[in-house]
Amino acid sequence: MGTIAWAGRKIGGALVVLWLVATAIFIAIRLIPGDPAEAIMGGPGSQASAEALAAARAEYALDQPVFTQYLLYLGKLVTLDFGTSYSLKEPVTKVMGEVLPNTLWLSLLALALAWLLALCFAAAASNSGRFGSWLGSLLEIIAAAVPHFWLGAVLIMLFSSALGWFPAVDNGSAQGLVLPVLTLALPLAGFLTQLMRDSLSEALGSQFALAARARGESRLTLFWRHGLRHAALPALNLTGWAFSSLLSGAVVVEAIFARPGLGRSLLSAVLARDIPMVTGIALFSALVYIVVMALAEGLERIINPAGEQR
Amino acid sequence: MSRSAKIFSAIVILLWLVMALAPGLLAPGDPLAINPAQAFQKPGLAHFFGTDESGRDIYTRVIHGAGDSLAIGLAATALGMGLAIVLGTVAALSPRWLDEVILRVLEALYAIPSLLMALLIIAFTGPGVGPAIVAVGLSTAPGYARLVRSQIRSLKNSEMLEATTVLGHSSWLKVRNHLIPNALKPLMALVTLGIGQAVIWAAALSFLGLGTAPPAPEWGAMLSAGRVYLHLAWWMSLFPGLAIVAVAVSATVIGRALGGKVKSL
Amino acid sequence: MQRTSRTSRILAGSFALPLIGALLAGCSSTGTSDSTAQSKAPVTGGTMVYASGDAEPTCLDPHVGGNYPQALVASQYLESLFTKNDKGEIIPWLAESTEVSEDGLTRTITLRDGIKFTDGTKLTAEAIKANVEHLKDPNTASSTGYLAVGKVVRVEAKDELTAVLKLSAPDNALLESLSMPWTAIESPKALERDQSTNCASPVGTGPFKVKSWEHQKAVNLVRNDDYVLPVADTKRTGNTAYLDGITWRFIPEAATRYAALQSGEVDVIDNAQPDTISTAADSGLGHLDAPRPGSSNRIELNSSKAPFDDQRVREAFIRAVDANTGVSSLLFGTAQRSNSLLSSVEPLAYSEESLFTTDTAKANTLLDEAGWSERDEQGFRVKDGKRLSLRFPVSTNQSVPAEQSLFEQFQAQAKAVGFEVKIDLLDLSSWYGALAEHEYNLVSAPYTKVGPSVLRVLYHSDSTVPAPSGYFANNAQVKNEKLDKLLVEAEETNDDAQRASLYEQAQKIVLEGYYVLPLYDQQNHFLYGKNVHGIGATTAVSSPIYFDTFLDQ
Repeated sequence: MGTIAWAGRKIGGALVVLWLVATAIFIAIRLIPGDPAEAIMGGPGSQASAEALAAARAEYALDQPVFTQYLLYLGKLVTLDFGTSYSLKEPVTKVMGEVLPNTLWLSLLALALAWLLALCFAAAASNSGRFGSWLGSLLEIIAAAVPHFWLGAVLIMLFSSALGWFPAVDNGSAQGLVLPVLTLALPLAGFLTQLMRDSLSEALGSQFALAARARGESRLTLFWRHGLRHAALPALNLTGWAFSSLLSGAVVVEAIFARPGLGRSLLSAVLARDIPMVTGIALFSALVYIVVMALAEGLERIINPAGEQR
Repeated sequence: MSRSAKIFSAIVILLWLVMALAPGLLAPGDPLAINPAQAFQKPGLAHFFGTDESGRDIYTRVIHGAGDSLAIGLAATALGMGLAIVLGTVAALSPRWLDEVILRVLEALYAIPSLLMALLIIAFTGPGVGPAIVAVGLSTAPGYARLVRSQIRSLKNSEMLEATTVLGHSSWLKVRNHLIPNALKPLMALVTLGIGQAVIWAAALSFLGLGTAPPAPEWGAMLSAGRVYLHLAWWMSLFPGLAIVAVAVSATVIGRALGGKVKSL
Repeated sequence: MQRTSRTSRILAGSFALPLIGALLAGCSSTGTSDSTAQSKAPVTGGTMVYASGDAEPTCLDPHVGGNYPQALVASQYLESLFTKNDKGEIIPWLAESTEVSEDGLTRTITLRDGIKFTDGTKLTAEAIKANVEHLKDPNTASSTGYLAVGKVVRVEAKDELTAVLKLSAPDNALLESLSMPWTAIESPKALERDQSTNCASPVGTGPFKVKSWEHQKAVNLVRNDDYVLPVADTKRTGNTAYLDGITWRFIPEAATRYAALQSGEVDVIDNAQPDTISTAADSGLGHLDAPRPGSSNRIELNSSKAPFDDQRVREAFIRAVDANTGVSSLLFGTAQRSNSLLSSVEPLAYSEESLFTTDTAKANTLLDEAGWSERDEQGFRVKDGKRLSLRFPVSTNQSVPAEQSLFEQFQAQAKAVGFEVKIDLLDLSSWYGALAEHEYNLVSAPYTKVGPSVLRVLYHSDSTVPAPSGYFANNAQVKNEKLDKLLVEAEETNDDAQRASLYEQAQKIVLEGYYVLPLYDQQNHFLYGKNVHGIGATTAVSSPIYFDTFLDQ
């Protein structure tokens, strides 16, 4: 398939997916008990008068039939208008724009670090003995199994309270990123390493690899030139997933390290029933996921051009 | 699979089963019994894992918590996997348009961050064990389903299948004898990781204050309660944390062992 | 394990207003504050970093909504007409004097001359009018401030500095109501801006002003260089705050907040956890204990539905649990057990310890008498095939972890006499939802207000009628005509002795009816670093003011 046709299909598919996500969020939010007008007029426990609530309903078109609301909602989304946050009374795009870079940096750095760790681990494991390999796989399983919030708390205890090497909370400096990035990256690295090692050992055990060894290539060269390519594919496949899981992780990590970001916005928006904020963040993260998936697939086409295309 | 891994797996499964089904055998105490005068006791002979802020014995609670925590992990993974096998198989074997539709739906589910999905479900149902299971199950299903689908599709055209067709097997037999077992193999690694991940997930929901109701000794809830006292009573969060890690580790080891079995089918 | 606390309550000064006179000397009575602070000469300069454990407010104007986190930050840039002195008496602040007419329906307030808002607008009677109207405007969506000025029908500007408030009924709590940050006075010019702008940069007369608000990151406050201290203070050198500014951050995780304080990344934290307070002195940290006025922290028993529609069952629950042991072990001595409906900072608080002593034998007898004499196989009592089961929705926003643990202890203790207590940990929206739907038998919902008139908000039968949102304040569902009459009379009398007596009778009715299990004052603990001095002054609602605060350079 040609690259242009491939890109066209990707974009078409992406639009369908975004529409599905928008619809799913619309339905899900209407199922949640509680009056959105209350969320607008001061949130839980508000003592807004009946008139004020009615006015809010009219202003946000909540008094229209559900299908009309849905069409209005889609119409606005098409023009990239996510509406006004119920609780902050500011445009959702503006609020998201303010905190987005923080989360993006955090996630990208965590993803990069996770990949780096995973590659090193996989390389080390393929070149080590039985015990080393056993220890490595134990470590990676443990890393994948540690809950973010616990890891974050422990890292703060160790590196901030006890040793004083890194700040516990965001202070705008690069140092403030160290602990949160580590907290996000370690479990993900454990996960990626496990996936890579399985395919790596298969690749290095293959006829092809044995032949190359027989030709006199060193194990390390073999790893970098042949093994890695095979090992990286399944992990690359999961990078879209990994990136979107980082946003879930960011909800917890941003809360622990008091970092501004989309995760924190998301949590407070869900708790405040701030429908426009929730919708905006959900759609945005869906978009990011789709883009990352497409990039990963593109990269896969480059690494493995002979591979079977879907 | 090595012999030692087999033995390890068997022992671990047995241990988890005993903890889940008959926790009284390992810890005869009452996991809910409070004793404020004995709060924050360090681990020792009287209390192997120490006591918590209400003087409850953490060892007893960890053992008795196995049932709840494992049930959440297993149920959520079973739910996710069940959905995935149905959706993935249908997608892989159906005409192209239906495959496309299912794929887009899966992608949409996948594109919503799992924690957001969990938060929405809990906002709808209220917190608790049930919603946590549904939330974790639903958010993991698309991932499993995509894998099932791609596995089955790649196997559908493989040499092995052609060979069986030549031999004249019916198509149901093809699915049962070759497609499912071969699709399952890579899934096992993911599933076993999934059980551990589901336990961690439930813990994350507890961290956000949306997990199981107190005073249930669910590990995630214990871990979350313990983090408040991290610098005063490290044992409160260490032991439930180790329990979670132990489940994830043994689930993975067992999964790999099972994976080997599926391959040999 | 260090369990004994060396911290002690700031005497009087914690809830009074040591701005007047007390200053450095008045703020040093925390058991943990270093003694050098008193002798240290104040230094001007430096930006203090404050870390709040509360959720970030959605609006910095405390007129909108009106909760405690808003009060904490707004106390730095907004001021009220009245405040409390160190004896707990209400005194004029932005106001210079006040008088009330014979019939109690006209309240005249004379303002101090020469006070300016930070946008340059002068404080005049028109400003008072604009503020009351802002509070009463439904579009403001004020709840706390709206209720506080509920009896004010309109405000007339008699002359530039004289405002006349017309009331619908006599209100002897009005000055207390006007001492709270939720009714603080903002620039009338600024109030004309749209709400989102005013929320992001409210304009007041306080020692600091809002420079910027970076959502989720910080509210940046800078010194108000034109500040005029309304009440002159002889001990004070200079009229403006010592700090150049305050960076007001939000760090929700208790452990992170404490770690950041220990490492010096932040200078002051609020919502300090009991166990960290108890060891703060060893780490050289200062401690400010400023219990909030209004209600005590207590559990309310919903008397409108079974099984708590029977007073015997209510008493049985209260006798079954052991609050004293739990309070002392979980709160590490940072809070005293309360036996009152009101905060210990309220002079009219009435206590009755004997009503709340633990007595499981009596609890069992009462339940037998009430017809809950059989038990099912799990040990819970049953009557007519129904289990003696109680729903207890707990807000994870309002109840700190130690309090949640206390409730778990109650759950275990109540089980021993045959109660099944189901604790549901809920987010704030779901929690309010559960209350509005009456899906509760027990609930803990503290209420902050200056003065005993909070009793009317909480226990008058009118407060069982829900607002359109479903909210009602009388969670115990006390409906008692005699009590209603007492509460209304107590608020309308102009005789102090009679007021005290009426409020005492009212408190007795609620306490003796076993509608409420008092626990302790609403906790309000602050920890600060070694480098921070001059902390202790607070507003009438116990929110600290950092006017006197300075940092080591």
